[in-house]
Amino acid sequence: MGDLELKNITIGYGNTPVIRDFSLTVENGQMASLLGPSGAGKTTVLRAVAGLLQPRSGAIIIDGRPANGLPPEKRNAVMVFQKTLLFPFMNVEQNIGFGLQMQGRSTGEIRRRVEKILELTELTGLNRRKIHELSGGQQQRVSLARALVLKPAILLLDEPLSSLDATLRQHMRELIQDIQAQTRITTLFVTHDQAEALMMSQRVCLLLNGRIRQVGSPRELFYRPADPDVARFFGGCNFFEGRLKNGVYYSQYATVAAPGLSANGDRLTATIRPEDIRICADGNRGITGRVQKTSFEGTTTRIWVQCQDRVFVVLAPVTDLQAGQSVRLHLPPDKIRIFAAEN
Amino acid sequence: MAAAGVGIAVLLPFVSLVMWSLSSRWFYPQLWPRQWGLRAWQYVFSTAGPQILAALGQSVLVAATTAAISVAIGIPAGRALGLYDFRGKDLVSVVLILPVIVPPLCVTMGLHLWFIIMGLAGSFFGVVLVHLTFCLPYAVFVMWGIFSNYNPSYEEQARSLGASAWKVLVRVILPLTFPGIMVAGLFSFLLSWSQYLSTLIIGGGKVTTLPILLFALMGSGDRPVAAAVSIVFVAPALLALLFSARYLGGKGIAGIR
Amino acid sequence: MTTNVTSTGNNARTRPNPGLPVIGRLVAPALLVVTVLFGGGLLLGFLQGLGYLPAAGMKVFTLQHFANVLADPDFFRSLGLTLYISVTSTAAAALISIFMALVLTSLAQRHRVVHFIFQIPLTVPHLVIAVAVVFMFAPTGLFSRAALKLGLINSSASFPLLTNDSWGIGIVCTYVWKEVPFITLMILSVLRRTGVELLEVGKTLKAGRRQRFFYITLPTIFPSLGAACLIVFAYTFGAFEVPFLLGQTYPMTLPVWAYKNYSDVDLLARPEGIAIGLIIAAVVTTAVVASQLLTKAARRRGLVL
Repeated sequence: MGDLELKNITIGYGNTPVIRDFSLTVENGQMASLLGPSGAGKTTVLRAVAGLLQPRSGAIIIDGRPANGLPPEKRNAVMVFQKTLLFPFMNVEQNIGFGLQMQGRSTGEIRRRVEKILELTELTGLNRRKIHELSGGQQQRVSLARALVLKPAILLLDEPLSSLDATLRQHMRELIQDIQAQTRITTLFVTHDQAEALMMSQRVCLLLNGRIRQVGSPRELFYRPADPDVARFFGGCNFFEGRLKNGVYYSQYATVAAPGLSANGDRLTATIRPEDIRICADGNRGITGRVQKTSFEGTTTRIWVQCQDRVFVVLAPVTDLQAGQSVRLHLPPDKIRIFAAEN
Repeated sequence: MAAAGVGIAVLLPFVSLVMWSLSSRWFYPQLWPRQWGLRAWQYVFSTAGPQILAALGQSVLVAATTAAISVAIGIPAGRALGLYDFRGKDLVSVVLILPVIVPPLCVTMGLHLWFIIMGLAGSFFGVVLVHLTFCLPYAVFVMWGIFSNYNPSYEEQARSLGASAWKVLVRVILPLTFPGIMVAGLFSFLLSWSQYLSTLIIGGGKVTTLPILLFALMGSGDRPVAAAVSIVFVAPALLALLFSARYLGGKGIAGIR
Repeated sequence: MTTNVTSTGNNARTRPNPGLPVIGRLVAPALLVVTVLFGGGLLLGFLQGLGYLPAAGMKVFTLQHFANVLADPDFFRSLGLTLYISVTSTAAAALISIFMALVLTSLAQRHRVVHFIFQIPLTVPHLVIAVAVVFMFAPTGLFSRAALKLGLINSSASFPLLTNDSWGIGIVCTYVWKEVPFITLMILSVLRRTGVELLEVGKTLKAGRRQRFFYITLPTIFPSLGAACLIVFAYTFGAFEVPFLLGQTYPMTLPVWAYKNYSDVDLLARPEGIAIGLIIAAVVTTAVVASQLLTKAARRRGLVL
């Protein structure tokens, strides 16, 4: 166990930097996720922490000790790869015991620790299985066990669930969370799935185009996105503009008291999540609009409503609204997020 | 360092061949020929020209025929082995790998008598048949590899878009497996190209390919001429390598031996 | 031969069997050619080795020819020499190939010329390189001249015998030159496909340089290295041209001896030549089968191979 600190890291292949001036702290025992679309440079950061590539500048501090220049095998961080990359010529037990064997541990100790980790990862009894005889989920768990057994200060997970189907993935998420809660290993988790990041981590770091856009708790990122891009990444789709006057934000759709903001007269963008918009029954609150189309999505229905020159997307519990029908929308002021500056 | 080592180790034999073929007076302790000249090459292209050109033609014809038949038979077999699991597949693969492992010597000797009886000994076709025995398995194995990474859904897609079976073969299967077909063909060609003993036994001196001629020249002790013929013998193989490097991305020839 | 002989893609496991008639039609031509020509050749060879040669008036089956060969004191000398040459060539080529594969993976894509030059020996017929080896290694060859120039020797007589010698140095060098690229490229394709990634895993799991080589690289390349070595062994054990050109007159390697008997003017020597050919085939086949069984047994006992 230990904490991980990345200070002003820049990484690049060739001339163009993939990661620019990246800083992040993961506290001891915390599970943090690095979230971003594919190609954002998440895996690059992870590989730098693991020591598989060297950053051009910046410092990587693992458990209080600078790790720059240390080869991967000398670092107290273990990486679990996206592909399971189990050694095909070894069985389950040999795969999990590999790292301990490399450290020259005794056979007895290796067996004991492997057995314990097998239990933790729900693999008991599969010791002698060949790798190709395992299911995808089992392979992924062996890969995780192989890293956990070393009790590293930092565990690095590179999209370990992306190859699994939906139900299996859900089960594995819970398993990883449980194991992390039990072992308290500081974990940095890479994913492109925002739901996964929100659900699994205490801290989320959103990476877009090689730069950190926002770091914070899952709730902060979801409800208080730092800019429209962050909001969009989490499924935000309703954006509108207004002006600030004496601490109040005026737009044609809503009026919001904004005591924290002081820039008078500026045009500012605001957003509201689709599930926060209310469809009103009574005829005087909110704004009027016309239903463009609806789309049934199971527990909710997605409704596109044309209000003046803008289309709002509303997620509501099952409704019987029809296209062409006119409705009133209420945008609760406390759910509206105003962005401090124009992009 | 390593690169330089590889370069010297690989190229030195060719340097010595070229030097010998271009020397006209080169006596023992001299490190360089005292006199350079084209005597050997003149011999190869004019004095013995007809004979050597005939051998070259014979070699090309034998190797090309062998390669064409190998590929034609190798494609369907490779397809079955690469795409499907079936009963007896292990047996089939053992049968096909045997000619790769068992040295050609005793098989050729055995075939010889039979070919004499059937009138195939000493004939072009007899030599092609004996080469085919050893070249075909390689073609099958190359195509096996190609088809085990091949997605036959493309064919189904083409069929559902209205292509006939023949069109599927010409417009889908062949283009998709083209690099593999080229490799299989090159493989078989080069393997047949360098056959000596089987040609000697079955051809019985009547089918004179380049290696047969080269062996005779080595016996005569005329080094410059043997060097020149060696270069003629190796040139098509090097051209094939260049071709594969250019058209098959360099990976093509990786399995040839 | 490609690595696909030992490892096929996923197709065969996922695709439904279209039925024996379809498969039969696809494989039949190849099987027919191999069984008729190869199987037939072997069978007829066997009959002749047993002395059944109706054309020469010999119509009685006998083990006499095999017995003659085995009783000949030269047989074991020839067998020993042939084994020595093929084992030495294979082992030397394998060691150099492992080293070369590691060097080439670290060279990466920058040295395309090196990769190209490295592939040249693949296409060069054994005969050509044997001729070049004569020009370089012979007592009056290039190396001898260079040694004299450098003052290492004072006459061609003091240059060590490297061709037609009892150690078969010229033969082994020819085989090594020819087979190193073959083995290296077989290993390299595996190393490139999975080796690099597995090595990264090894690094993060705290394996040092040596440990990575012995615990990851070697087991990863073992199947294709083994297959390549078997092919090289089988070839060098049964090949004729190189030992014929570069070998000494006595003892001869088995294939040279076999052909000498077979081409003898005395037709009675012919069955003995064929018998030697069959013994060669038997040795090679036994070696291949035994090595496969050994590997399997070792794997079953949990050895990491």
